[in-house]
Amino acid sequence: MTLLAIDDLSVAYGEIEALKGVSLTVEKGEVVAILGANGAGKTTLMRAVSGLLPKRRGRIVFDGADITRASADRIVHLGIAQSPEGRRVFGTLTVAENLALGGFTRPPREIAGSIDNVYAMFPRLAERRAQLAGTLSGGEQQMLAIGRALIAKPKLLLLDEPSLGLAPIIVQGIFRTLREIAASGVTILIVEQNVRSALKLADRGYVLEIGRMVHADSAANLLASPEVQQAYLGKAKA
Amino acid sequence: MDAAKKPVTRRNEAIGIALWAAGFAIPAFASSSWVAIAAMFAIFAITALSEDVILGRGGMFDMGHAVYFGIGAYTTAILNTELGVPIFLTVPAAVLLAAGTGTLLAAPLIRLRGDYLLVATIGFNAIFVLAMQNNPGGITGGSDGITGIEAPSLFGIPLFSQSAMFWLDWVVLGLVLFLMRNLDRCEFGRALRYLKQDELAATTLGVDARAVKTLAFAVGAGLAGLAGTLFAVQLSTVSPSSFVFTESVTLFAIVIVGGPGSIPGVLLGTALMFVVPEIFRDFAQYRYFVFGIAMIAVMVLRPQGLWPRRRNGL
Repeated sequence: MTLLAIDDLSVAYGEIEALKGVSLTVEKGEVVAILGANGAGKTTLMRAVSGLLPKRRGRIVFDGADITRASADRIVHLGIAQSPEGRRVFGTLTVAENLALGGFTRPPREIAGSIDNVYAMFPRLAERRAQLAGTLSGGEQQMLAIGRALIAKPKLLLLDEPSLGLAPIIVQGIFRTLREIAASGVTILIVEQNVRSALKLADRGYVLEIGRMVHADSAANLLASPEVQQAYLGKAKA
Repeated sequence: MDAAKKPVTRRNEAIGIALWAAGFAIPAFASSSWVAIAAMFAIFAITALSEDVILGRGGMFDMGHAVYFGIGAYTTAILNTELGVPIFLTVPAAVLLAAGTGTLLAAPLIRLRGDYLLVATIGFNAIFVLAMQNNPGGITGGSDGITGIEAPSLFGIPLFSQSAMFWLDWVVLGLVLFLMRNLDRCEFGRALRYLKQDELAATTLGVDARAVKTLAFAVGAGLAGLAGTLFAVQLSTVSPSSFVFTESVTLFAIVIVGGPGSIPGVLLGTALMFVVPEIFRDFAQYRYFVFGIAMIAVMVLRPQGLWPRRRNGL
């Protein structure tokens, strides 16, 4: 069953078109990766899905409902949560408060259980629950941003560059947890520059280049594709 | 951690309540001119707290707050002098009209950021003052304003004396302080704080930015309207000069100098702006000179405000 269908989506900042007719689908239970270099339009795509940017053309259908013009808060209610680029945790709130804030759209008494699940998933967050989020390391903040998005109990989790600015060993840990999250049945759409990690996690992938989808294939095929290898994995042409 | 924080909060609240209660005794020992100053302090404290909802808690640069204060004052003045409506019955109209205006003006502006919103609100202030001066429909009295506003009466007893007026203002201030304290804890107050800190993050978590910000304008404007009623009653006259742009600037400065989002900060700022100049009345025009220097010093040395908001979470 198709959970998210984006059809011919264009998004512009003033005169500059950042997305030029992008289409993609995400099936229920799938992990889909969107790959691309800086400025390819990956973050624009994520923000458009979350309702943070107006669309110039095209359609976004989520779980059978047209959300092309829906407001950002409505989209969260419908079941899409995003862990935004650069983490964006609330630095002056504690870890526990940040997580509770993730449940803004849910009845307060249901949140406690979800928070415990996140602590089980990221024990580091449990240890630091009373600490201000601003004093966490980058990796811990990323865990918090992902955990916070999960508290909304999303049908679709959007992850915008979870590896950004993190040491490789931390990135490994984060991706290990993402695999657990995916295994628990959460559908994930992930945007990454770290192509290898993203494709190992994903079932399928799309490659975005300056606002256009240039490849779409299974993750395994993309990993093996000479073009992807040359462009993103730093392998010279054989 | 919440448990560790609470006793301090409770102690501070107890001190605040005690100070407020002690305030009722001011007319017992102060001269009538000081009672009048204390009454004005209460009125402007309510106005400054209402500005704090928009500016301090919401982070929206409202530089036209005197408009809402003025709408409240004019509503009471017109209803009372033209139609003979008792003062207390003009309060709902004053609050709702101010809140409605705030909502209406805010709706198209809510997407504007910082400095743009600030300039737009200055525009509103200029239009408001001009409109009042031009005496539309012959009801605002032009530049002279409206005089002869009655004293309010409670259960048939008119509150003529300066002390009675002061007590009334003081009671209303207490109610507004209680409201502001609860604002911190309710969902609306929290949502506003998240939006101020990081609008994008708050929005991706399901906060309806437009609704929350518009409501902040409505609440802030409505409370300013309430203060406007008290102001009209206190002076028994209203005129455009009380609601000019510089009044908005003063309210803006009170919040920034006192401490945005901090109740004691805003009260302290109000005291500095309205009470301290009275103490230095003998220095005539120099008092504003000293005052200007003090403002600059605070911004340089203590940019977070004199009494900044303590970190508090959910």
